Amino acid sequence: MAKRTNEQWLSNLHSAGPQREEAMAELSRVILAGLPYALSKWLSPEDPRFSALAEEVTQETVMRVTARLDTFEGRSQFTTWVYTIAVRVALTELRRAKWHEVSLDELLAEKDSDDEPREMPDLSPGVQSSVEKKEMMAMLFKVMQMDLTEKQRTALMAVAVRGMPLEEVARRMGTERNALYKLLHDARLKLKNHLEKEGFSAAEIMATFEKE
Amino acid sequence: MKNWIHRVFKRDRPHKIQNNAPMSMGMPEIPPSRAEAMIKMIEKTQEVELSCDEVHRLLGEFAEMAMRGEDAASLLPLVHHHLDTCPDCREEYDALMQILQASPD
Repeated sequence: MAKRTNEQWLSNLHSAGPQREEAMAELSRVILAGLPYALSKWLSPEDPRFSALAEEVTQETVMRVTARLDTFEGRSQFTTWVYTIAVRVALTELRRAKWHEVSLDELLAEKDSDDEPREMPDLSPGVQSSVEKKEMMAMLFKVMQMDLTEKQRTALMAVAVRGMPLEEVARRMGTERNALYKLLHDARLKLKNHLEKEGFSAAEIMATFEKE
Repeated sequence: MKNWIHRVFKRDRPHKIQNNAPMSMGMPEIPPSRAEAMIKMIEKTQEVELSCDEVHRLLGEFAEMAMRGEDAASLLPLVHHHLDTCPDCREEYDALMQILQASPD
């Protein structure tokens, strides 16, 4: 069958009767076909949990897509937009499953962890401990104590240091991911401005961590 | 520059940075690799940043630009910046790209 254009998707999903049914079925097929790739780093399609998760994610995504058709702005292919929703639904579920037994208190009380932080671009590995770096962190802690609220400190430690997803931290703090990002942004901005007032740019601090 | 840490701790400071209150209240020791990640986050902070929801709205467009070989980072710099700062959105972008790269069209 020829690929639907964005307009056809919208028109078919807005219509009634068999056209809509066929479009809904196609939508489910599209989502199900994409999920093994999207989740390749999380769950193998051979994993016994995969098919139940894929089913659940597909149903939830179809529901959200049909409820939000009017918010599609045509900035991408319709199917790409659908995938952004499916990915959000799937990863939310996987993060919840992965972290469900971890409380914020336990997480922050951990002495240390050998886990690497979640993969981020430009993170150069192999930074070694040194007195200078420890002093740097001590200074940063002091600034955090002075400038940040308790909530900001907790969120920053949980996300940046312990690697808990924003979504999971937000759930535990009784807020939403969007609001937590803003809380973290305000915290980072305060720290950056404070350090700059002290005469040090974060880039300069970073150089201490990079030199060996 | 080379001795700046000395400057931080020894010089007269305009602020109360020498505050000697125990700083460890609720503050676990941070492994150096994590400290580096945190400082990078601070370093990258901009006055204006998009929220996760705003990025979610633009993510498909950004991903398709990248798939077409366009310079998505220059065309949508605030999205690029957010993806560099927010691990959740980054994971979602990577997962989306996995699908688009596997699709024939």
